[in-house]
Amino acid sequence: MNWSHVRLILGREVRDQLRDRRTLFMIAVLPLLLYPLLGMSMFQIGQFVREQPTRVLLLGAEALPAEPKLVEDRSFAVALFAEPDQQRLVELHLADSEPGPTGKAWTLDDARRAVETGHFEAVVHVPSDFSRLLGDFQRQLKTGAETKAGGADTRQAEPQVPSPEILFNTAKEKSQLAFMRVSQLLERWREQIGRQNLIDSRLSPEVARPFAVSECDVAGQQQRESAVWSKVMPFLLLIWALTGAFYPAVDLCAGEKERGTLETLLSSPAQRIDIVGGKLLTVMLFSFSTAVLNILSMGLTGSIVMRQFPELGAPPPLAPLWLLVALVPVSALFGALCLALAALARSSKEGQYYLMPLVLVTLPLVVLPMAPGVELNLGNSLVPVTGIMLLLRTLLEGEYLRALQYVGPVACVTLACCLAAVRWAVDQFNSESVLFRESERFDMGLWFKHLLRDREDTPSASEAVVCGLLILLVRFFMSFALPQPGSFGDLIVLTLVTQLVVIGTPVMLMTIMLTRSPRATLLLRLPRWDVVPMAALLAVLMHPSAQLLSRFVQFLYPVNREVREALDGLMAGSAGHFWEMLLAMAIAPAVFEELAFRGFILSGFRRLGHQRQAIALSAFFFGISHALFQQSIVACLLGLVLGLVAVRSGSLLPCLTFHLIHNTLSLLAAQPGAFSWLGELVEAGEDGPTFGWPVIIVSGLLSALILVWFRRLPYPKTREEALEAARELADSKAEGGGRKAEDAAQAERDEQGDSDERRLTRAY
Amino acid sequence: MIRVRHLTKEYADLHRGRFVALDGISFDAAAGQVFGLLGPNGAGKTTALRILSTVLVPTAGSAIVAGYDVLTQPSLVRRQIGFMSANTGIYDRMTAWEMVEYFGRLHDIEREPLRARMEALFERLKMNDIRDLLGAKMSTGMKQKVSIARALVHDPPVLVFDEATAGLDVLVARALLQTVAELREQGKCIIFSTHIMREAEKLCDHVAIMHRGRILSAGTLDELDARHGHRDLEETFFELVSGHEHDEAPTTQGGER
Repeated sequence: MNWSHVRLILGREVRDQLRDRRTLFMIAVLPLLLYPLLGMSMFQIGQFVREQPTRVLLLGAEALPAEPKLVEDRSFAVALFAEPDQQRLVELHLADSEPGPTGKAWTLDDARRAVETGHFEAVVHVPSDFSRLLGDFQRQLKTGAETKAGGADTRQAEPQVPSPEILFNTAKEKSQLAFMRVSQLLERWREQIGRQNLIDSRLSPEVARPFAVSECDVAGQQQRESAVWSKVMPFLLLIWALTGAFYPAVDLCAGEKERGTLETLLSSPAQRIDIVGGKLLTVMLFSFSTAVLNILSMGLTGSIVMRQFPELGAPPPLAPLWLLVALVPVSALFGALCLALAALARSSKEGQYYLMPLVLVTLPLVVLPMAPGVELNLGNSLVPVTGIMLLLRTLLEGEYLRALQYVGPVACVTLACCLAAVRWAVDQFNSESVLFRESERFDMGLWFKHLLRDREDTPSASEAVVCGLLILLVRFFMSFALPQPGSFGDLIVLTLVTQLVVIGTPVMLMTIMLTRSPRATLLLRLPRWDVVPMAALLAVLMHPSAQLLSRFVQFLYPVNREVREALDGLMAGSAGHFWEMLLAMAIAPAVFEELAFRGFILSGFRRLGHQRQAIALSAFFFGISHALFQQSIVACLLGLVLGLVAVRSGSLLPCLTFHLIHNTLSLLAAQPGAFSWLGELVEAGEDGPTFGWPVIIVSGLLSALILVWFRRLPYPKTREEALEAARELADSKAEGGGRKAEDAAQAERDEQGDSDERRLTRAY
Repeated sequence: MIRVRHLTKEYADLHRGRFVALDGISFDAAAGQVFGLLGPNGAGKTTALRILSTVLVPTAGSAIVAGYDVLTQPSLVRRQIGFMSANTGIYDRMTAWEMVEYFGRLHDIEREPLRARMEALFERLKMNDIRDLLGAKMSTGMKQKVSIARALVHDPPVLVFDEATAGLDVLVARALLQTVAELREQGKCIIFSTHIMREAEKLCDHVAIMHRGRILSAGTLDELDARHGHRDLEETFFELVSGHEHDEAPTTQGGER
């Protein structure tokens, strides 16, 4: 990367954006106006909602006891309200003083319909014998108490009082509010009756409440105040960082295409990575500024508005510092994502359409930390975006020690995501089909014809993505369509059917329909003689490390107890059926998953020209195709190993061998007394054997050596990979040696030109 | 200065399938020479020039520009060329001076030499009155001038002009052709695409007539006249193009590859 080019591009883009009125409005004017307006409207709406009175009908007022009073002056008794001025919030209508809808007296059915139609928000129905039976019960209590005082032994009076009923409608929010208000009133009224009963029974009213529960909030004033801010501020920060990144990104990419300036920039000495770097820094800067201005404006408005809510208090004093620190990686991540997406758009208008999917994907990660009970722990800190939000929240709450523990994992995950997003953005700028995409009328028939007619030896990267998504979709719908396995036998059959239908069928169909050479696509070649034994050895040596990793993942993200019990229940019948298990859980996955993920999908991604990226993408799809999240993480990492083996050996056979042996060893590990021949090196446990550290370290080191051996194997590059390698070599020469390299290249040019010409002409 | 061999470019097109925009063209252009790529719309001129300026990557074949391979040494190629496209590529929110300066700086020219060079360029192209005018407020002629200044600011040995006179009025087009002629005198290698025969006749030392991704005939104007028996380039062009008008559009369908 040439930093002077990056600085130049950054300077130009920033100046360009600052001269654009729309951008200025979005980043500077909108935040300053938004919060005061929002505060004002919230204030008005809040008042409006609070002032709404509830219409309640009372049916059977004549059956109410004289004391204590539920109704007083055609309204609920003022003593029943927590605050006397709340009385006006319940508008009471007495059924006996108003004619019913039919013109006659109200019936219970009329009342029910009135609630259904919303004429009343709630109806209180007092049974006709309520007062009489309550009176009877109270008299029994009095008599009992007098008799007891006379020394005679009496039995306790049993209450036979019918229940008053509240009719309400949960489908209507106003009715729910009415129910809440009325039920509180009736509760207090019942307490009054109860207290009276205790007095009548010659007992102190305190009998029912022998003690009070006192509350003691240990949170300090500052902690209480920061609790709300620490949830709201990270959320707003992320949302504005995303919005602030998106609009400049669209203008910087799609706008440049629209104005026809992209071609000129691409033909300048600035390399694609310089262009992306400059643009990314611009987008980051605007994302950063938008978020900062929003937080400032919110703080300013908040400090004025919040004076009316003293319990909320001011935000924590160090909040601005933490927010600024967190904004750097957040704006980098969103900036790179927005840039890559915006590069797809042909026009600014098209670019706007891409905002919604990005928000929809990001929103769950932003909302997750807001859920009650979600706290910063190792598992959550490894989730992109969520981790950084939780870390920020912990810092705002002032728990610095706790935050410090998770800075490492959050930083690693965020950095990895940023790098992946930047890589994607650079790839977009290297892709002709993205940069020079022309609008074409879409015709489904023509498109199908084009797919079949223009197929190549191996699938394209987009076909690989479609295959991966198809597997996920079919799996999702199959999980609902198929019956839940009831026994071990069902599980075996269902696993086999799922492998065949979900993975095998789509892959085979897509290979036959969309490629010219199923052999090249699915790597159906015989490898070098020593590759298969090495892959088998690798699988065996990696087993202890893989098992350790699997346990660690389950420690970080414990499997839901219900899921674990269901799995254990299904596996309970597995004793004595090892061969069936081997078929369903080792042989079938080894065949079908390898054909899919190391065959079709990896071949498709290799067309992008970057081998490591292809391996990572195929491993990602392999990971997410597993049902349990915990399995996905382990599978994703094993997918990287399998991808490397596939690319370097050029054959599916070693991958199949590795996969088969890996799964078989996992099945064997679940058998009682497994690996007991290893003696003290293995410890039997509830979840199978645990390997000792010497085994894990030695086998891990040996696995690493074998992986290095695989990496050093000579392997056939795809045409795209060969071109990228040649380009990287030329670029590194140009960057490393400067003028010297140019001279060297000049001296070599005729020879190289001729050889390239021959090679590419042959390739075509 | 420019050596193109068997240059091929394929696109995937929904309607035409794998469409061959360039079908193995070869030509050479030397320093101090204007090489004209002539052809109707869709002949493949822009694709060829985009490959020479490393914006696109060829599917097969090779192109060497000023000693560097477009495929493996694209960044070195870009330092040797000045590229000017048909749509001028002018930033709306930059002034003429800022735009030329920006591209000069991208070519790593130091501030002071760049300033001196820009003063001379603005003087030569009579651009001093639009120095501080924003791109959005420029006329097509003004934009074209800025575009030329931008292509020349680093004094490249090779200039690539893609339909540079398209949409210009007679006066501006004439001035542009005059500039191209001057550049030739300075020993630049200029590759110039157009579909206006009169321009080619006035300006080009060598021409290649393209149609549907292929070069139908190439050589000096005299060679072409002699070969096809016409005195007029337009007649030669018309004969060649109409003779191939009913040819199959080059596609690689079925097992042709």
